Amino acid sequence: MKICVLIKQVPDAGSVLRIRDDESWVEEDKLVFTANESDSYALEEALLLKEAHGGEVIACTLGPERSRQVLKDALSKGADRAIFLHDESFNNLDCNGLAKVFAKVLEKEHCDLILCGLQADDTGEAAVGPMLAQELHLPHVTMVVQTELLDGGLKVKQELEGGWFRQVETSLPALLTIQSGINKPRYASLRGIMAMKKKELRELSATDLGVPATELAPMQTLQRIYVPVKTKETVYLEGAPEEVVAQLVDKLANEAKVL
Amino acid sequence: MSGQELHIPGLFYLCAAAALLSFVYQLRRAFVARIGQPEPRTLSLAEVLRNALVYGLAQKKVSSRQFGYASIMHLLLGWGFMELFFATTVDFLVERNLLVALLPEKDTPWFAALNEVGGLMLLGGVLMALFRRHSGMRPPILPHNAFAGRGNFLGDTGILLVLLFLAVGGFLAEAARLALEAPATANASFVAWPISLAFSYPTWVVWQPWLWWSHALLALAFIALLPQTKMFHALIAVANVALTDRSQQGQLRPMNITALMEDPDAAPDDLVLGAARAEDFTWKQLLDAQACTECARCTSVCPAHAVGSPLSPMKIILDIRNDLYARTLGDGDVRPLVDGVITATELWACTTCRACMEVCPVLIDHIPAIVDLRRNLVLSEGRPPEEAAPVLEKIAKQGNPWGFPREQRLKWAEDAGLELPLMADKGQTDILYWVGCAGAYDPRNQQVSRAMVAIMQAAGVDFAVLGPEENCTGDSARRLGDEYVYETVAHQNLKTMGQYRFNKIVTACPHCFHTLGTDYRQLGAEWEVVHHSQFINQLMETGKLTVSGNVTETVTYHDACYLGRHNGIYDAPREVITRALGPEANLVEADPCREQGVCCGAGGGNMWYELPTEERINLMRFDQLAATKASTVATACSFCLIMLDDACKVRDRENSIQVKDIAEIVAEGIG
Ligand SMILES: Cc1cc2nc3c(=O)[nH]c(=O)nc-3n(C[C@@H](O)[C@H](O)[C@H](O)COP(=O)(O)OP(=O)(O)OC[C@H]3O[C@@H](n4cnc5c(N)ncnc54)[C@H](O)[C@@H]3O)c2cc1C
Ligand code: SF4
Ligand code: SF4
Ligand code: SF4
Repeated sequence: MKICVLIKQVPDAGSVLRIRDDESWVEEDKLVFTANESDSYALEEALLLKEAHGGEVIACTLGPERSRQVLKDALSKGADRAIFLHDESFNNLDCNGLAKVFAKVLEKEHCDLILCGLQADDTGEAAVGPMLAQELHLPHVTMVVQTELLDGGLKVKQELEGGWFRQVETSLPALLTIQSGINKPRYASLRGIMAMKKKELRELSATDLGVPATELAPMQTLQRIYVPVKTKETVYLEGAPEEVVAQLVDKLANEAKVL
Repeated sequence: MSGQELHIPGLFYLCAAAALLSFVYQLRRAFVARIGQPEPRTLSLAEVLRNALVYGLAQKKVSSRQFGYASIMHLLLGWGFMELFFATTVDFLVERNLLVALLPEKDTPWFAALNEVGGLMLLGGVLMALFRRHSGMRPPILPHNAFAGRGNFLGDTGILLVLLFLAVGGFLAEAARLALEAPATANASFVAWPISLAFSYPTWVVWQPWLWWSHALLALAFIALLPQTKMFHALIAVANVALTDRSQQGQLRPMNITALMEDPDAAPDDLVLGAARAEDFTWKQLLDAQACTECARCTSVCPAHAVGSPLSPMKIILDIRNDLYARTLGDGDVRPLVDGVITATELWACTTCRACMEVCPVLIDHIPAIVDLRRNLVLSEGRPPEEAAPVLEKIAKQGNPWGFPREQRLKWAEDAGLELPLMADKGQTDILYWVGCAGAYDPRNQQVSRAMVAIMQAAGVDFAVLGPEENCTGDSARRLGDEYVYETVAHQNLKTMGQYRFNKIVTACPHCFHTLGTDYRQLGAEWEVVHHSQFINQLMETGKLTVSGNVTETVTYHDACYLGRHNGIYDAPREVITRALGPEANLVEADPCREQGVCCGAGGGNMWYELPTEERINLMRFDQLAATKASTVATACSFCLIMLDDACKVRDRENSIQVKDIAEIVAEGIG
């Protein structure tokens, strides 16, 4: 079984975030980066599936030079090889663009299974996985909390809202987005770290992939990043019931403009 | 045996030769440790001889008030045995007119009396041992059924019975000789002579050959089998103590992983990382394992064992020995050591408190062996304790085990409005104050850091801190067996501090103190590190710091393992307390304390995970401290403070007992 895991490098959960003066993003120079939490669980799930059924695990990330580290960590933990997507033109991709780039790479890999994290801890959109499935015309299941390989297919447990779960069966190849807590991510042994140095880590640029910049133009742009400001206010309407109703109607009509 | 009628027959010589041959053949057991890894010794011959004499023949570490009965028992046994061995050798040589000029005269009253004393000591020791083993005194971990040893021929009781028969048989054979030969000095044999008088001459004539032969054959059999029995320790333990470098005890083996990582030829699959088999230990560690006398003193003082953990340091040592004998001599099956005979739970329970090493009579180095086994689990298998894995990652990434942002390392000072001089700005200073992760991030220890600043400011100390440049020393990582993370942070620290000039490093954390001062020495550090107990004590002693000192409370002091047993600092913190509180204060000692003090449970990485045990070590220790009726429990260690403060809350004693660092006690007095 050939499995590809998409791992995003994000700021460590304990980071102190400072917004840039131009409100375009956060200051990155003092941040410590790490693999996205749910992506670590996705990697572990891939390694467990490989250990149980054989095959190959490929780790893939897209990002600036620093994000190469998440691939090294994945290789140290047991991934067989890694693909590093790195290009100036990838800097401002939105989820759609990301999905397109990943699709270009994965088209050629013919994986049986693609695992994403549930959502990235920085932007939290939970979109890349499903969008990529769409690009590759693959079935996908989100929020997966358990996997079981069947003959030619996969049975997964999916988390729903309100503490509900459901069992889903899918054919392979397929894409899953993995929920945190599905397993216990392993710790990289020194033996693994040493072995990592001898494993393949292929770097690919936009030209290598043959994705024209026009296809990657963002459909979505980040306008401003800011600390949430308190905007809501609760007002108690007091008085006799008729007065309260009158005030309420006035407010709905003139302030909220919903009537 | 002299005289015409008692000539020694050729048969005896044949038996003696066979016994000696067997003994020499068995002695190969002593050399199986050579399969171990190299470990250079820099001991001089004088030191080797001194060690052999002090810890071997004189049995210095056998004598201990803590184990009074067992000490007397063993001193009697050991010295009695040595005396009889000496007497028998002299006897044998004199009979054959060998080396007579060098030997004491045999047929003198003092020699006869001395031998009787030797025999009585052995007999007394054996009886004490048999009684101990078969009464309520038996330490629960020792076997009591006669022939059950741990892989030893004859077992523990079996060998005692042999010694008993040798001692009694010796007196009887001697009585027979005295009766038949009636030498002039006979009445100096104050035990054998009365026995000889108890029976008639004809009776002795009949019994003499039987007594003599049974005694001689038993003695020869004893010699023939000695290396296979528990008594082997009499030889191998002496060799082991002789070759022990006391100054290096307890130090973890350097691994030089940085060089390993840079070596392009290193084949990851062939690397020996830590120890998983006997041959992965050094020859000295294997000799240690062979020297174990199975006295169980180590296990009886182990705090983890006391709270119901399966960890027994004696078992670990014996497991290593069994693995060694299985692999080299084919004694028993070879079974996996890590995760086989020794479980991960046993290994993770060790707090590296050094209590076991403190009491081991034959100078065995338990902690480095345990850490080597842990290293295998972590470096080779990638299996630290589940809760510790993220801690190791945080140490590597954020430079502290809590994973707080590096840039907030000085928040404790900023929040208190303190503007501290930074090394990065000053470049040089007298005192580099090493705050440590706990001092920087743990709310309770932040108070200690602020107390330290108040003290240094009051005493006009020229100091600076590293601030965000400070990194975890890697103590927990190293003791958890993650030498890779340890070396990574250590090299970062060495590089940072290499840029600056300072006279001394001062720290309030004994773990930082030990790591910076002892562990980093292996990596080339040459600086002087001083613990805050020593530092504050000196400030007060030299009059640089004056403290009001009119407190009347009762204080007890908890010895931190890494200050006391690991570094021999027992008095400085006590002096700080008495100086700070003034003459009215009452410093009471907990039972046990100092060398025998009990760990708080946080060492060796145990700060970061919990193992299922019946009781918690910190609660056990807190109860001992609370039993002193002191209203203040003083500590001098960041981790001890956290553990005991926690215990105080769990025991609901916050209203009657305060847990405080000695720096806080001092700072209160300078107002
Ligand atoms: C069921 C559900 C409930 C939600 N509820 C709320 C809510 O109550 N409040 C709220 O504010 N939000 C909520 N969200 C979040 C949601 O609205 C998000 O804004 C959005 O849908 C998810 O985008 P994302 O950026 O997290 O995912 P993506 O950025 O698409 O990341 C998903 C995965 O794609 C892969 N990936 C992405 N980028 C890279 C890269 N550069 N390199 C390698 N791999 C990459 C990783 O595997 C990652 O884990 C919810 C989302 C879901 C699905
Ligand atoms: S160091 Fe302490 S905890 Fe570890 S085995 Fe020895 S006595 Fe037990
Ligand atoms: S290791 Fe030392 S203290 Fe422990 S049983 Fe062996 S000899 Fe005794
Ligand atoms: S050794 Fe201990 S107190 Fe010292 S820096 Fe590391 S965790 Fe902090």
